[in-house]
Amino acid sequence: MKEVLATVLENKRIAENIQSLTFSTGEVIPVRAGQFLNISTGNGVHLLRRPIAVCKAEGENITICFQLKGEGTHQLALVPAGAKLSVLLPLGNGFFVKESEQKVALVAGGVGIFPIISVIWEYAPKGKQIHSYIGFRNRSAICCLDELEKSTALTVTTDDGSYGLHMNAVQAFVADMDRGNVPDVVLSCGPTPMLRALQAAMQQRDIPCYVSLEERMGCGIGACLVCVCNQTNGTHARVCKDGPVFNAKDVQL
Amino acid sequence: MANLSVELCGVNLKNPVIGASGTVGFGREFDEIYDISVLGGISTKGLTLEPRLGNPVPRIAESRGVILNAVGLQNPGVDSFIEKDLGWLKSKNVAIIANVAGRTLEDYAQICAKLDGLVDMIELNISCPNVRAGGMALGIKPENVFEVSKITKAQLKKTPLMVKLSPNVESIATNARAAQEGGADCISLINTLTGMAIDIERRKPIIANNTGGVSGAGVKPIAVRMVYEAAHAVSIPVVGMGGITCAEDALEFIMAGATAVQVGTANFTDTMAMPKIIQGLNAWCDKHGVKNLAELRDTLILN
Repeated sequence: MKEVLATVLENKRIAENIQSLTFSTGEVIPVRAGQFLNISTGNGVHLLRRPIAVCKAEGENITICFQLKGEGTHQLALVPAGAKLSVLLPLGNGFFVKESEQKVALVAGGVGIFPIISVIWEYAPKGKQIHSYIGFRNRSAICCLDELEKSTALTVTTDDGSYGLHMNAVQAFVADMDRGNVPDVVLSCGPTPMLRALQAAMQQRDIPCYVSLEERMGCGIGACLVCVCNQTNGTHARVCKDGPVFNAKDVQL
Repeated sequence: MANLSVELCGVNLKNPVIGASGTVGFGREFDEIYDISVLGGISTKGLTLEPRLGNPVPRIAESRGVILNAVGLQNPGVDSFIEKDLGWLKSKNVAIIANVAGRTLEDYAQICAKLDGLVDMIELNISCPNVRAGGMALGIKPENVFEVSKITKAQLKKTPLMVKLSPNVESIATNARAAQEGGADCISLINTLTGMAIDIERRKPIIANNTGGVSGAGVKPIAVRMVYEAAHAVSIPVVGMGGITCAEDALEFIMAGATAVQVGTANFTDTMAMPKIIQGLNAWCDKHGVKNLAELRDTLILN
């Protein structure tokens, strides 16, 4: 974990309401797949930094992608190349694929695709068989296909059928599994209803399934206890520090 | 190098910068980023008699220049703190201020009895809804401030008592005096101001609890005014807080009468905020020929 003043290299729109921001940290800071960072919006009126998943880490350069949603993300999208932003990274546990897990299913939707791209980035070169099931709202929301195509097999769905299969990512994944394409592990990120559907689909199956959660955060390092989730054992876990990735069996969604 | 050390109720702080309760946990997480022994002190996450799960999420929201939070005192309970965290924190050579919260006056008394002699100072959080006060915070009416100060002070044979005042009151000076009369060895202020932030698309408050405590840079002028009024109403030391982001902010509080300061929200904006404030205090003192930071306390010249 390191506090750095990063230099913005590129900040561009890559799909409807989706921004890609690349910055240099000035040093190589190792980031694992599924980890995130806390980044300032570039405007001092926003006292909270925004927790955003790392999409790609290449040497000193880090790329994050985010949806333009509130005032903070709209502000962040305006930051020009050359500007400095305070960044705290890497945060959270990230996704792990064990040695014994050869066939990896990635199920993602919406902005959940960006941490999933970091999995492809890390594990495709390690020879894992990656089957990605990616859901978008519609054709205009589609982005990062070149990155997603680094999967061994890619299934794209849209909610309105304007591109790929007319269904959601969980339906596409379950249908493929029913056809006998069974993974060793499932990694997922996306809207809560999607994760809930996946959790339900995996309940009766003996396949490890990990989900990456999102929550409004304060410190990002586990100190302030703002971003908790309910665990099935009745306790709270900190999404920023104990997560954001949890075994789907351990959390109430 | 100026001498930044200050004395607070017989406790020597190597500098006046204390991590504010609820923003720094028990210190462990920040210690992964920098050695927290550079700090003057740490005020712990609010400790209750039993473990508490706290409020539903979302627990935090933002408005320009401020944040709102309603964590609801999630904590592992005072016994767990003593058993699992206190030893580690003691090894860090920072003043340990145990922040204490109760549902009843008896809770406060019991927690204080457990912590007496184990920590450097107790800080009472009297802003939480309290059974005795009919669900209203004990920190609102001066008679309740007096009562909770008195009942806890009676349990503290060794450890000094700091009472953290709520700003959501009729007269901060009156409540400061009530704490002093109840036996407080010092007071800290301000706790958060109660606020609300609304998501207009959903027409709902952003925070699950509907309202939350407002803190951060935007509250600083209110906090400085209240610290000034409180410091001039009592003879016991005052610890100032509310929106401190940099050394210059801390100096405003010190000049208004604060002996030490606490830093909260700024820790979220910049994880290194507190070490930077300490460095900045030193630089300011050097630049202004100040040998001892303590000399600056209460040097405000009113117009």
